[in-house]
Amino acid sequence: MSMSDNKSFFSVKNIHAYYGESYIVQGVSFDVAEGEIVALLGRNGAGKTTTLKTLARALDPKLRSGEIYLGGVALHKMKAHEAAQAGVQLVPEDRRIIPGLTVEENLIIAQVAPNKGWEIDRIYEHFPRLAERRKQDATSMSGGEQQMLAVARALAREVKLLLLDEPYEGLAPIIVHEIEAILQEVKKLGITTIIVEQNAVAALKLADSAIILDTGEVAFRGTAKEVLDNKELREEYLAI
Amino acid sequence: MNYLFLQVLTGLQISALYMLIALGLTLIFGTLGVVNFAHGALFMLGAYFAVVISDAFGFSVALVSVPILLFIVGIILERGLIRFFYERSHTDQILVTFGLAIVIGEVLKTIYGANNLPFAKPSWGSGIVKLHEYLPFLEGFVAYPKWRLILVVVSFSTVAALFLLLQFTRFGLIVRAGMRDSQMLAFLGVNITRRFTIVFGIGAVIAAIAGLFGGPITQVEPELGMKLLIPSFLVVVVGGMGSLPGAVLASLLFGMALSFTAKYAEIQQIIIYLLAVVILLVRPRGLMGKKGLME
Ligand SMILES: Nc1ncnc2c1ncn2[C@@H]1O[C@H](COP(=O)(O)OP(=O)(O)O)[C@@H](O)[C@H]1O
Ligand SMILES: [Mg+2]
Repeated sequence: MSMSDNKSFFSVKNIHAYYGESYIVQGVSFDVAEGEIVALLGRNGAGKTTTLKTLARALDPKLRSGEIYLGGVALHKMKAHEAAQAGVQLVPEDRRIIPGLTVEENLIIAQVAPNKGWEIDRIYEHFPRLAERRKQDATSMSGGEQQMLAVARALAREVKLLLLDEPYEGLAPIIVHEIEAILQEVKKLGITTIIVEQNAVAALKLADSAIILDTGEVAFRGTAKEVLDNKELREEYLAI
Repeated sequence: MNYLFLQVLTGLQISALYMLIALGLTLIFGTLGVVNFAHGALFMLGAYFAVVISDAFGFSVALVSVPILLFIVGIILERGLIRFFYERSHTDQILVTFGLAIVIGEVLKTIYGANNLPFAKPSWGSGIVKLHEYLPFLEGFVAYPKWRLILVVVSFSTVAALFLLLQFTRFGLIVRAGMRDSQMLAFLGVNITRRFTIVFGIGAVIAAIAGLFGGPITQVEPELGMKLLIPSFLVVVVGGMGSLPGAVLASLLFGMALSFTAKYAEIQQIIIYLLAVVILLVRPRGLMGKKGLME
């Protein structure tokens, strides 16, 4: 790994991304250490989702310039499916469970392309609710269960970088606790993770460090504790 | 009883060809999101290949080679032209595929002339079937052209094969998933574009089957593609853009409507358009259309 050491296992260098002509991600740079969990925070519309999609190499938004390296591998030269094969796993904000497919089919589809992560049996051991519903149309499950499936689907693949976009969004508090517990388990696996959350307090509980985005630019990069201790920062960007 | 049975059979036979063409159209629309107005031309190309090859080498050689040829033509078209239009508007897609259809039609006209090429059925498919010998509920003498029965059987077998492929194979699972959310599949590492190229090829193979078995019935001439495209496109819209069961259902409906109005030529000429208007007024997305497609 000539291009990376542990401190910059995942490295984002001055990326600029556009939806058509709308300039959204305006020169974002940051490094993430291997195994680090980063909370990516900021107001609604700050560009968090756009950043994650850019990192996962979606066609839209279009990355016009900048570089992205994961373990020394140049993601910015890849398409979405190639980045996924290189170990990037996006759990999108609307979960994107495939309609018309069963729970099990949603997991199988995650293992069509290399590289495989957890075996499906192992997933069922850790997510008994999904095992019970394996033959059920996945989109007929509750929001919490669909979020579980979205996380499980990512684990069905080899994950070097996990991108979680608002995993608690739209879930009742009791369900949020359940998903939090799952993410705490995932944290023990030591997977490098970027978590976007409106619920900054919940995200910072999980995270080691934080990035605050403001209109497509990095306004802050530091530890989770620094954010929680800094009243001005919280008021200006997070409204907490 | 005889009358009803024969009308239904004729209805099935009319649906058979629409079904094959509509199936290919809707398969390509549902996966690639492309309104392929060249699909009728692919069918016509299939029919021309079938005539020429079966004249030279016999129908069985055509039966094997025409689907392979059309698969290759389909792949080349998708990779060489159609794929550049995925991100463009439906209007652009219609323009380019319509243009392609005209080019294919003109090329065929230049080579083979504007007249109908006679398509000789193979000997095993000629003649009639005495249906009353097999179906005791029919009274008296009831015969039906054998080739038309073969067309019905081939058409429904093709539909069944496509459903089995999509429902029970891994390839089918990937394609079905891709029809619903191709971007998410890419996020899961799946090169969905490659699968969709194959789907375009399969659509062309279905057009080849339609050409092989429909050709002897429709006449093989350079206007053939357009003649069948319009009603087939209507079938797709009425069935619901991108819905395969919808396409099957709508083609059956059209076939029956055309068969049962055969006595009244004036009504028969407009019946499918009338049906289309009524159905689309009541169900703007078609019989089995899903939200989000073509909107
Ligand atoms: N598909 C899109 N096309 C055009 N603009 C978009 C699209 N999605 C989001 N935007 C715009 O990009 C900006 C950032 O959005 P987003 O990344 O979703 O913010 P966040 O996730 O931080 O709430 C917003 O101004 C939003 O309106
Ligand atoms: Mg967002």
